[in-house]
Amino acid sequence: MTKFSLVEFSIRRPRWVLALVGLLTLLFLTQFPKIRIDTNPKHMLPETSDVRMWNDEVDKTFALYEDTIVVGVANDRGVLNRDTLGRIARITEAIVALRGVASRDVNSFTTITNVTAGDGMLKVGPLMPVAPKSDVEVDALGKALFDNPLFIDRIIAKDGRTTAIYVPLEQGANGAEIADRIRAIVAKEEGPERYYIAGDPVARDTFGAEMFKLMAIFSPIAGGIMFAAIQFMFRNLALSAAMMGVSMVAIMWSMGLLIGLGFPVHIMSSMAPVFLMAIATDSIHIFNEFYFRYRKHGDKLAAIRATMAAVSRPVRFTALATAAGFAVLLFMNIIPVKVFGGLIAFGTVVLRLLSFSFIPAVLTFLREDKLVGKAEDASLDRTARLLGGLGAFGAKRPALVVAVIMALLAISIWGTTRIHVNNNLVAWFKDGSEIRVADTAMNQALGGTSLGYVVVDAGKAEFMKRPEAMRWIEGLQRQIEALPVVGKTFSVVDYVKRINRVLHDDEARFDVVPETADTIGQYLFLFSMSAKPADLDNVIDPGFAKANLWVQMKTWDADAMRQVHAAVQSYHKANPLPVTAKPAGIAYFNLVWNEEVLGDLVFGFSLALVVVFVILALDFRSFKWALVAYVPLLFTILFIYGVVGFAGKDFDMPLSVMSTLSLGMAVDFAIHFVSRFRQRRAEVSRGETPLASLAWTAARPGKGIVRNAVLFAAAFSVMMAAPLTPYVAVGAFIVSMMLISALLTLLLLPALVMLFRRWLLDEPRGDTQ
Amino acid sequence: MKRWLLVAMAALLPFTAFALTGEEVMKKSQAAFLYPGKDFKARVVMKLIARDGQERVREMTMLRKNMGEAGGEQKYFMYFFQPADVKDMTFMTYKYPAKDDDRWLFIPAINMVKRIAAQDKRSSFVGSDFTYEDVSGRDIEDDGHAIEREEKLAGTDCFVVKSTPRAADADFGHKLTWVGKESFLPLKEEQYDRKGVPYKLFTAEETRQVKGFPTVVRRVMKNLQTGHRTEVSYLRADYDLGIEDSLFSERFLRQAPRKWVD
Repeated sequence: MTKFSLVEFSIRRPRWVLALVGLLTLLFLTQFPKIRIDTNPKHMLPETSDVRMWNDEVDKTFALYEDTIVVGVANDRGVLNRDTLGRIARITEAIVALRGVASRDVNSFTTITNVTAGDGMLKVGPLMPVAPKSDVEVDALGKALFDNPLFIDRIIAKDGRTTAIYVPLEQGANGAEIADRIRAIVAKEEGPERYYIAGDPVARDTFGAEMFKLMAIFSPIAGGIMFAAIQFMFRNLALSAAMMGVSMVAIMWSMGLLIGLGFPVHIMSSMAPVFLMAIATDSIHIFNEFYFRYRKHGDKLAAIRATMAAVSRPVRFTALATAAGFAVLLFMNIIPVKVFGGLIAFGTVVLRLLSFSFIPAVLTFLREDKLVGKAEDASLDRTARLLGGLGAFGAKRPALVVAVIMALLAISIWGTTRIHVNNNLVAWFKDGSEIRVADTAMNQALGGTSLGYVVVDAGKAEFMKRPEAMRWIEGLQRQIEALPVVGKTFSVVDYVKRINRVLHDDEARFDVVPETADTIGQYLFLFSMSAKPADLDNVIDPGFAKANLWVQMKTWDADAMRQVHAAVQSYHKANPLPVTAKPAGIAYFNLVWNEEVLGDLVFGFSLALVVVFVILALDFRSFKWALVAYVPLLFTILFIYGVVGFAGKDFDMPLSVMSTLSLGMAVDFAIHFVSRFRQRRAEVSRGETPLASLAWTAARPGKGIVRNAVLFAAAFSVMMAAPLTPYVAVGAFIVSMMLISALLTLLLLPALVMLFRRWLLDEPRGDTQ
Repeated sequence: MKRWLLVAMAALLPFTAFALTGEEVMKKSQAAFLYPGKDFKARVVMKLIARDGQERVREMTMLRKNMGEAGGEQKYFMYFFQPADVKDMTFMTYKYPAKDDDRWLFIPAINMVKRIAAQDKRSSFVGSDFTYEDVSGRDIEDDGHAIEREEKLAGTDCFVVKSTPRAADADFGHKLTWVGKESFLPLKEEQYDRKGVPYKLFTAEETRQVKGFPTVVRRVMKNLQTGHRTEVSYLRADYDLGIEDSLFSERFLRQAPRKWVD
C-alpha cells in the first residue's frame, strides 16, 4: 500500500516533505506572470464549432463588425433641440477619433446615411452633416427622422426623447477601454442629457474586469473565513495554518499548471481557487479523527498512524469521487467547462497527495503540550452529543423521517418541472448595475441592444434583386417584428422601398418593392453611388445571392433568438421560396451555446451519476450500500432544483455546471458516514447494537462531516456577496448543497440503515467478523 | 564662347533650382492628370475586388470635356455597360471649382432623370474604393501642400508632397503624393485617416503616351483597412475628339449617342 509508506515517509522525514512541497510550489508560481484572461463568450465554443465558423463567414460576407457599443443619449424634453444636437455632433466627432473604433461605420445623426428628395433633387448623404443652427433646421431634421422608417427605433425613439450612437469596434479592440473613453467624452458635456453605454462588448469586458476583482478579493476573503473557522474549531494555529497551506499549495499548483499550459483564465476557472479551498476542507476529517485518537493514544506518532489508517479509505474515495465528478466535465463541449473540470480534478488529486504527505508531516510538528487538554472525546463533546442524538433520532423513528423527507421530495420534483433553461449575459450583472440600467433604458426607448441576423441565401447570384425575393424578405420582417421580444428589423428591402418612394416625390403608394428586377438593380446601384459602402455591404452580398436581415431584440435572453428562429421557419413553410434562411450573429451564438449547455448538462449529469455510483460500489464493495449512500446526494440535488424551479431563477450555464460537479462533492459525506459506520461495526463486532453504532457514527465522524460542511459553506458564502449573479448563484447553490447533504447524511442515512437493516447488515462483510 | 558656356552651365543646373512649391507641384499634377487635352474619352473597366478575391465589375464609357483652363470647369458623361442590369444608365457631372458639383442620373427602368445632390464628396464612386474626389480631383486650395522630400520611385524622380485638408470634410487626415518630376502624374498616393493610420493606397500601375499626353491607363486603389481594392483599366483612351457641348444634356442622358458611348 503506497499510501501508507507515503505517510510513514512523511512522518519520518517531515522536513524533506515540506521542502519538496515548497520547491514545487515555487516552480508552479513561476508560471503566474504569463496569466491571460479571456472573457469572450464566443471562446466558450471551439473556433471550429459550426456556429463560430458560420458567424465568421457571415461577418465576412456582409462586412459586419463582431462588436458594437451602443451609446444612448436621452433628454426628457426631447433630443431634437439645438443644444442636444450640438452635443451629439461633438460627441460623435470625438468618438470617431478614438483608436479601435471603426470610424467610417459609426452611425449617429451626423453620419448615418439618409435618402431624401426635395426640389427635384435626390439626396443621399449624412442625415445631419452639421448641427442645426436654427429651429427651422431642427424641425426639418425632426421631419427627416420621423419620415424615414429606417430611423425610427434605431436612432430615434418614437417619443423623440432618446437617440443612439452605434460604435462598431475594430477587430481586437478592448470594449471596456473604449467604453471608458466614451464615458470621459460624454462627461465633458454639461446639460440635462443622460447617457447610457450598452452593448455586448461593454458587458463582456466589464464582466472580465469584475472577474479579476473577484479573484483578487474574494479568494483571500474566503480563505480568511475558513482560517478563522478552523481556528475556532481546533484552536491550534499550526493546524489551521497547515490546512490553509494545503489549499494554497493546491491552488498554486493547479493555477500554475493551467497558466503554464497556455490556457486563458475564463469565468469558470476563475472560481477554481474558491473550489479548491472548499475541497481542501475534506482533510478536516484527518484533524477531526486525530484529535479523538490522540486523546485515546496519548502518543502523537501513533495517533497519526492510527488516524491515517482509519480515514485513509474514505478520504481516498471522497477525493476520487470529487475528482471524477469534475473529470466528467472533460467530456463536455464547452471549452472553459472542460478546462475547469481538468483543473479541479488535478487540484483534487494534489490535495489527496498532500493529505497523505504534507498533513502528516505537519502533524509531527505539533507541540504535544498544546494538544493536551484539547483532544476530543465524543462522549463529552456537546456538538458530538447533539449530532449523535440527531443520528439516533433518525435511527429510532425511521418511518417518520423517511415519510417527511419523501413528502418534501415530492414537492421538489414538482418544482423541478418549472425550471426554465436560459442564458442572458446582461442578467449576469445585478439589477442596479450601470450595465443593467443602460441596457434596460435603451431597450425601453429603442429597438433593442441585442443583435441577431437572419441570412437569406438563394445560392444563385442576382436572385435577391428579384421582386419576389424582396417581397419574401419584407413579409419575413413583418412576421419577425410581430414577436414581442423583437423591437426592430431592417434589410436591403427597406432601402429599395425608400428609394422607390423618394424618387416618386415621396408618395406613400410607392413605399413598396418595385415590379422588376432591373428597377431594383438600378436603385441599388444608385444607392451605392452615394451611400457609405457599408450601408449596402451590411445587408446584401456583392453577388446579390444573399441578403442579411438585421433583428434587434429587446432582451439578451437566448430564448428570444429561438422565437425568431421559429418564426422564420414557420414563415418559410407557409411561403415557400428556393432559399435557405439561417440565423446568425451574437444572439444566435448565445442560443446555440445555451442549447449546448443543456445537452452537455444532461450528458454530464448522467455520466456523473454513473461514475459516482461506480465509485461508491467500489468503495463499499457492495451494491446495496452504494444505493443507500446514493440517496442523500440525489435528494439534495432534487431539493435544490425544486427551489430553483419555484424561485423562477433561470437555469443557466453556471448553475448547470454546478449541478454536475456537485454530485462529486455532495456524495463525500455519505462516503465518510457509511465507511466509518461499517468500520465501527467491524471493530466493535457484536458488542454494540446497530442503533448505537449509528449514533456513534453521527457523533464522531459526524462532527467531521459537520465541520467540513460548515467550512465548505463558509468559503462559498463569500461568493454570495459578489457583484455578479453567476457567482452569487454558485455560492448559494454550494452553501445549500453542503448544509442539506450534511443534514440528510446524519438524519436520513441512519433512518434508511434501520429500515433496511436486515438487508444491509446481513451481508457477509457486515458485522460478522 | 562665353554664351555657350553659360548655356552649358544652365543646362547643368538641377531642375529643383527652379524651386517649385508644393502647391505648384500639385497644380501641375492636376493639369497633367485630370485636364490634358480639350476632351477625353475612354472605356473604363473597374474591378472591385474583396479581400477574399470576390470580384465585381463596373464597365462604362467616360467622356470628359474641359470648359476652360486647367483647374477650371469640366463636364463628365458616363454611360454604364456593366453590371448588366444597369446597362443604359447614364451619369453626368458638371464640375465647378470651389463649388458643389451638379450631378444627374438617368434611371432607365423607370425612364427618369434625377438630379443628385453632391453633398458628400467622400462617398464612394459606384461602390468602388475611389471616392468622387479620387476620380475627378479636389480643389487645390482645399488643402495645404508641402514638398516633404524628393526621391526616386521605381527609377522615376518624384516630388513627395504632403497635403493636409484645411477643413475637416475630407475622407482623409492627410496624404502623401509621389508626383513624377517629368510627367507630373501622381504615381503613388498614400492616404492616412484622421487618426494617422494608413487608410488607402493609390498606385499608377501603367502609364502610356496617348497623343503626346502621358496617361495613367491602369491604376489601383486599395483600402488598407478593409483589404478591399479597385483596379481600373482605361481601354481605348483618346484625346481631342471634338466632343460637342450639347452631349452634356438631359436629352442625351436619356438617349446616349452611339457615336460616343460604344
